[in-house]
Amino acid sequence: MSRPRLAVDLAGVAKSYGSRPVLQDVGLQLEQGGFLAVLGPSGCGKTTLLRCIAGFERIDGGRIALGNRAVALPGTHVPAHRRHVAVVPQDGALFPHLSVAGNVGFGLARTQRRGDARIEECLALVDLAGLGDRMPHELSGGQQQRVALARALAPRPRLVLLDEPFGALDASLRVELRRDIRAALHEDGATAILVTHDQDEALSMADRVVVLREGRVRQDAVPSTVYAQPADSWVASFVGDADLLPFTGADPAGRVRTAVGPVEVRSGGPGATHLVLRPEQVRIDPAGTGTGEGPVATVRDVEFYGHDTLTALALPDGTVIRSRSLAAPASVGDRVRVRVVGPVWAVPDGGHAR
Amino acid sequence: MNHRRTPVALTLPIAVVLGLTACSGGQPSTDTATAPAPDATGATAEGTAGAPAEGDGQLTLYSGRNEELVQPILDRFTEETGIEVDVRYGDTAGMAAQLLEEGDRSPAEVFLAQDAGALGAVSQAGLLEALPQETVDAVPESYRSTDGDWVGLTGRSRVLVYNPDQVSEDELPQSVDELVSEEWRGRVGVAPTNASFQSFITAMRVMEGDEAARAWLADLAANDPQIREKNGHIVADVDSGDIDAGLVNHYYVHELAQEKGVDPEDLSVRMHFFGAQDTGALVNVSGAGLVGDQPDGDAQALIDYLLSEEGQAYFVEETNEYAMIEGAEAPQGVPSLDELEAPKVDLNDLDDLEQTIEMITQAGLL
Amino acid sequence: MALVATAVALIPLGYLLLRTGQQGLPAWLDTVFTWRSGRLAATSVALAAVVTAASLVIGVAGAWLVTRTAVPHRRLLAVLLALPLAVPSYVAAFTWVSVADLWNGAPGGRFEGFTAACVVLTLYTYPYVFLPVASALSRVDAGQEEAARSLGRGPFSTLMTVTLAQVRPAIVGGGLLASLYVLSDFGAVSILRLDTYTRAIYTAHTVGFNRDQALSLATLLVLLTGLILWGEGATRRAGTRYASTRPGRPAAVADLGAWRWPAATGLWAVVLVALGVPAVSLVRWTVAGTSLADAWGRIGEAAAGSLTLSLLGACVTMVLALPIGILVARHHGRLTRFVERAVYLAHGLPGIVVALALVFFGVTVVLPLYQTSWLVALAYATLFLPLGVAAVLGAAAQAPPSLEEVGQSLGATPAEVFRRVTVSLTLPGIGAGAALVFLAAMKELPATLLLRPTGMETLATRLWSATGVGRYAEAAPYALLLVLLAAVPTWVIVQRSGIVRPAPSGATPAEDGMLLAPAPAAPLMVDSVSGEVGNLGAVTGTTTLRRPAEDVQS
Repeated sequence: MSRPRLAVDLAGVAKSYGSRPVLQDVGLQLEQGGFLAVLGPSGCGKTTLLRCIAGFERIDGGRIALGNRAVALPGTHVPAHRRHVAVVPQDGALFPHLSVAGNVGFGLARTQRRGDARIEECLALVDLAGLGDRMPHELSGGQQQRVALARALAPRPRLVLLDEPFGALDASLRVELRRDIRAALHEDGATAILVTHDQDEALSMADRVVVLREGRVRQDAVPSTVYAQPADSWVASFVGDADLLPFTGADPAGRVRTAVGPVEVRSGGPGATHLVLRPEQVRIDPAGTGTGEGPVATVRDVEFYGHDTLTALALPDGTVIRSRSLAAPASVGDRVRVRVVGPVWAVPDGGHAR
Repeated sequence: MNHRRTPVALTLPIAVVLGLTACSGGQPSTDTATAPAPDATGATAEGTAGAPAEGDGQLTLYSGRNEELVQPILDRFTEETGIEVDVRYGDTAGMAAQLLEEGDRSPAEVFLAQDAGALGAVSQAGLLEALPQETVDAVPESYRSTDGDWVGLTGRSRVLVYNPDQVSEDELPQSVDELVSEEWRGRVGVAPTNASFQSFITAMRVMEGDEAARAWLADLAANDPQIREKNGHIVADVDSGDIDAGLVNHYYVHELAQEKGVDPEDLSVRMHFFGAQDTGALVNVSGAGLVGDQPDGDAQALIDYLLSEEGQAYFVEETNEYAMIEGAEAPQGVPSLDELEAPKVDLNDLDDLEQTIEMITQAGLL
Repeated sequence: MALVATAVALIPLGYLLLRTGQQGLPAWLDTVFTWRSGRLAATSVALAAVVTAASLVIGVAGAWLVTRTAVPHRRLLAVLLALPLAVPSYVAAFTWVSVADLWNGAPGGRFEGFTAACVVLTLYTYPYVFLPVASALSRVDAGQEEAARSLGRGPFSTLMTVTLAQVRPAIVGGGLLASLYVLSDFGAVSILRLDTYTRAIYTAHTVGFNRDQALSLATLLVLLTGLILWGEGATRRAGTRYASTRPGRPAAVADLGAWRWPAATGLWAVVLVALGVPAVSLVRWTVAGTSLADAWGRIGEAAAGSLTLSLLGACVTMVLALPIGILVARHHGRLTRFVERAVYLAHGLPGIVVALALVFFGVTVVLPLYQTSWLVALAYATLFLPLGVAAVLGAAAQAPPSLEEVGQSLGATPAEVFRRVTVSLTLPGIGAGAALVFLAAMKELPATLLLRPTGMETLATRLWSATGVGRYAEAAPYALLLVLLAAVPTWVIVQRSGIVRPAPSGATPAEDGMLLAPAPAAPLMVDSVSGEVGNLGAVTGTTTLRRPAEDVQS
């Protein structure tokens, strides 16, 4: 086998509630052992997509295949319990009447449920070894999510679906849990799809990110590509911080003049209308120093985050852009010189995400 | 909410099955076995009452009379004939309603009723089978159905109970008409919801006309009557002196004595029988009829037994009611049936209860 | 399935329509639109209004005192206040009359009429309000109250505007049950000689053999019930409420200061009067007469009959209530709203009408079941379905669909999921509902009398036949046993309600789990259903929480 087998294959999936389309022509592929994130804002249809893959919803059009078996076509619907797709819901949804071990063993065959090594193994995967006798309500929120993952992994499903599993946890816990869950999934060789609205989550955990907007796939790429080369202005502004500057025409060297001076432009295709200016590309020096061609701007606002600082700058023409730097280089009202580092990605207009 | 296809739709039937098995599992055996399937007695041979087919040794009785009273005599009947009796006890009116609702699918074979009115109502709906002539003939004409489909089993006389401490002998009225006069204001207990009172009013209508009955009721209502739910309450209240007198059936005095465990003589309450064929001297009956097509002669045998000397004597002793057949002993402490100057009313004419109820209601007594 | 179950609840209505239809409209109009019928309906409505109002006062005040204040012996009081539920209204009325007679030498001064009926009915109806409200109050989130206090509201204002508003579904639901109970009651009003509409139905029926008139009259009662349901629905729509998923900290117990003794005295007075009067009477009957029968065997048989029929009735009712409850809990729409209301229609009808309908249904449709325990059970189901449905609604909140979906995604078949997840989670709530149906079935008389298998007796029918011939001493042990047996399910219900033990960790792990489980971002909505849940969902210890539709797809 030269190529890894496809674990998930969606093509042209459509779904609507009444007359309102929720998913339109959604296609995505995921290889065995891969980890894909479906990223999109609230209401983009990502939870519906997950429910369609799990078998909780019927699709109106297209095709869903798991392994080499089609599980959903219009008119064909393999019920959820025969798809071998395990779900880790938003709130964990542990069975409150079962112990931790009972929860983890739920999907195992009857004979395996009691004292089986797989249960311990899965608990160890999520760092909860030895807690099998606890009841769900005796666990913290983070622990509950770990149990939910162990429960999903236990029957070795073809696919694990994670539905915003970290949504309600506090930030520090979230980072740690993300890392652990990713490790556990990897260690167990599981194939997984994570559904989230949190770009950090999607970019940091997944091998590949599918950006969903209004029921359509806007981009499907590895995380670094989604960030560095967004498909359009909407994706650019949804994934990461970005200031969009409209531009027209480039010189043969690929440079354009903008409010921040001349910049080098890269673009994936024709029809690009906006520059995606990431704050970390924008550097500032005290006015009067440096020699760059960049204009002088006024500091409007400084947001200090500890590890870095986000500075809002008003350009002479009134455009406001942001700059990210390690220390706080200026105060509100200071005048600074602006320069852009490296080439700038140009995208077609797709609207603003925020 | 969107139509999620939850597993619920699929699991419901299972829920039901689970529920049912759970029920039948935890259940002491329900009575499907013991309850007679309505057609259990459905022998094809239609036994006419005169030539009874071979009985199956079992019959179903709807009894509007109390178990306390009826069960011992039924036990004796079973002992003597070997015929088992499944009895449903209820109140007479309720049983009549049930019979009317069941129609010709009724599992009942015999209906034993407190009063002639209920038998009349069931008879009118065509649900009663004709009785053989000899059974009918055992009972005086005035205490049986003109169509010969029910007979009286026991007689009960209307009576005025009074407390001698509050009512002197010479004060006792000759007619119920006196009870609505000023002299008796606030002193007379009546039980208008009771069938016996209603039959009495119906008799008054038959004998004296609707207008007279209406007027009497209006006068009674205006005379501050002491209304009680049951005849028994009236007798008890008269005995205790709470009220001076009351219109009831004669055997309630006996009943109170039994409840208190004393001889009727030792009670304060006394009975006054109206004479001269006054409406107040009405004698009504409890009776029985055969319900629907009879599969065999078992039901007929029961009625005959209840009309036998043994059966009649039982009622006389136990309830102090009058026997229907000739030559039977009279109950203790009351004049014999022949001595009573009961009005000549055909009990078959007392079936227009509806109108009576309407009148009692209009008078404000119901 | 849910529709089949609903059809069972509608048997009496169908029967009424059939019978009145046979008489034709003019006859119906003649019977129903008379002065007398108007007067009786007015009496019934007035009685229902007064008793419901009084029950709300006692029920809500009692519930608040035992759950949220430091009134002395509050746990014991919580149990005792629920116990009058075990006393059938006819036993209550009988015993009240007989005790009142002790003080009442004067002729004509009998304990009867409107006031008497109000007193007696209130004392034995208020638990329908007390239980759900107490249960709901014991789960109220302290956060809202604290917020109100911090915004400058005084304690009383907070109680009225925040606390009671949070448990309003329970209050409204309890009031609904109380009013329907009073409307359909016959036992108490007939003994207390109050001419109500239901009594007129019985009278027309039993003394006049006038089935048609009785049934025509009953149709008006259906309309009245429909009106009450509509009114209740209207208050619900106006009062949709939001609650957070997290029960949060249990609210603090208020210190009543000097008021604790008057408050305690008031509650004890209610308990002593409601339970003491029947006790005194029953003891008097037992010692006064000699007709105490040979009867241990018969008492045993009657108890067995009561238990059999009530148990079967509770099972059948819950089996029918399950699909309805789940349907209503999981789907919204016109149909479910109709179903939800429809089950209440028969609840407001007198037992005799339901019984006759079942006689008719029995002989025409399911003849083999006629006069078997199954038909009695079906009659109980028809009468008491709302109690069961409310319990299932409450229980369904314990098993949200997401849990079932997770179960399926782990490879369990729907049947397996039902067994291993849904049943396990909802059983306690459903059990409490079954207990309430069982309790109601134990006390039921008219339908039992007409439908029980020939030869079978229950405590209620024995009690009825003994008092029918004035043998009170003989009746006493039946009454006593009936009340004692009925007290057992009452106790179960109180236990489940969470009033007695503030945090029943074993019984409702789901809720404790929720304390820690991450909550969905959207607020959960306590909506239309929980009004009914108030009746019993709250009694069984839960409140229906529903997510707004939006969160399904995002």
